[in-house]
Amino acid sequence: MNELLQKLFTCVEFGKINTASPYPPQMRGQEGAQELTQQALAEGIAPSQIMDEALIPAMTCVGQKFTEGKVFVPQMLLSAKAMNAALTYIKPYFSSGEVKRKGTFIIGTVFGDLHDIGKNLVCMMVEGAGWEVVDLGVDASAEKFIEALNEHPGAYVGLSALLTTTMTNMKTIIDKVHEVHPDVKFIVGGAPVSAEFAAEIGADGYAADPQDDIKLLEGFLNA
Amino acid sequence: MERRFHTYRYPLSEVLPSLDELARYLHMEDTEHPAYLYMVERLEQLRSSDLEAVGGYVVGRVDSVEVAEGRLAVEGVSFAVGAQVAGYLKEASEAALFLCTAGALFSDEAHALNAAGDFLEAYIIDAIGSLTVERAMDRIHAALAEEQAPLGLKITNRYSPGYCNWPLLDQHQLFHFVGENPTGITLSPSALMHPIKSVSGIIGIGTHCRRRAYGCVICQNKTCIYRRIVQREKAV
Ligand code: B12
Repeated sequence: MNELLQKLFTCVEFGKINTASPYPPQMRGQEGAQELTQQALAEGIAPSQIMDEALIPAMTCVGQKFTEGKVFVPQMLLSAKAMNAALTYIKPYFSSGEVKRKGTFIIGTVFGDLHDIGKNLVCMMVEGAGWEVVDLGVDASAEKFIEALNEHPGAYVGLSALLTTTMTNMKTIIDKVHEVHPDVKFIVGGAPVSAEFAAEIGADGYAADPQDDIKLLEGFLNA
Repeated sequence: MERRFHTYRYPLSEVLPSLDELARYLHMEDTEHPAYLYMVERLEQLRSSDLEAVGGYVVGRVDSVEVAEGRLAVEGVSFAVGAQVAGYLKEASEAALFLCTAGALFSDEAHALNAAGDFLEAYIIDAIGSLTVERAMDRIHAALAEEQAPLGLKITNRYSPGYCNWPLLDQHQLFHFVGENPTGITLSPSALMHPIKSVSGIIGIGTHCRRRAYGCVICQNKTCIYRRIVQREKAV
């Protein structure tokens, strides 16, 4: 792999944002995700190659370490920060169409529920995997999802719920959305949710963590 | 008997978590990590704030505890606490229904930080708020124990709607029972409290009541990330 991209991968993996950031200590004084991305672009490396060979694999690696319990939420959030520093320079190519996103993922915590830590992690990881993410926040109603789908036709939808009392709101949202957008695919997640429950309420998939979610989304694309 | 809300107020500086406690909770003990540095910075700032955590309880006579049915009645108000909690409360002759909040500061800030894309900072502020309200409630719990001790009465752990199969919707009964109070906590139709960093629940009082192992020790959630932390700590 290109050496620059290899370095960029390491920066995102360990959360090295830019030259000024003192963390991690063994990389102090070195360039971070921000500078390396600028350099890569200046050297003529295609933005899509930067995504595919550095940013996406780095976030996949972090997601895997999280799944295995080797890192926890703060480390993952720092990697996401480094990735975002890089994305700032890649984003213009998304809008110009030069870099194709894999698709759009609309996600929100269902109405009645305020737990958002897990959902935020999913947002960042899915974005890091090359998707456009539309975050509807917490306490999101069916109407909000319908509106977002009107704006982003063809998007996939993720629902998060952490309470047994609000899990059932997932079904309400799926049913209402399907009345307007019958073909939309739903992935559900959150601690109390299971694959059985997902099937019961008519969701198209259940994901236990962000890596799982990304696999499901890619599965939809290839179906 | 007239119901009275016993109010307790603590300056934030007295109930904020210590750095060590926060570091353990977030499993972030790398003192050079930006998350750690942010924890240090915010705890210091918050220690000099003049805000308060406020909470308290109303004590009522227990009419009946039906363990098998998982029900408990306090002065005519019935709670579906579930069999497990009812079992823990079966020795109670009285019960304290409590509320406590760390205030709106934490969730307002976390919300603003999230909206600005600062997820790491939001996550830390959110965690400080969670620990602060628990610390304030620990103080209230201790105050209740102290108040009952001279009467020869002991108290149980605290139990909350949403835990151990006690339906969250029972929050409505709980707030109804507690009535007017100075905490400013409100309940949404779906039974969520505002401010978000608030807790509510019940503590049993009686001559044979006792505290027992609780929390992670008895939880069955196999996928919880905190379980992974506890297991790792055990393995070390
Ligand atoms: C942190 C937390 C809170 C924080 C929320 C902070 C926030 N900003 O979100 C606070 C303290 C505010 C809170 C409050 C409450 N909470 Co709470 N909370 C938790 C806790 C401890 C951790 C949740 C969490 O953040 N986990 C970490 C993240 C990373 O994991 P996660 O959310 O599971 O997400 C992962 C996966 O599930 C998945 N995922 C999540 N969403 C999605 C969505 C999609 C589409 C996909 C694909 C995947 C996916 O990916 C994530 C990463 O792997 C859980 C217990 C637990 N272990 O789950 C209780 C828990 C969810 N809370 C619970 C309850 C009851 C409450 C309260 C209602 C209690 C009360 N009576 O006061 C209050 C509400 C307060 C109020 N204002 O009314 C209960 C719910 C029980 C139930 N029967 O429904 C739990 C399970 C605790 C328990 N009893 O054991 N809580």
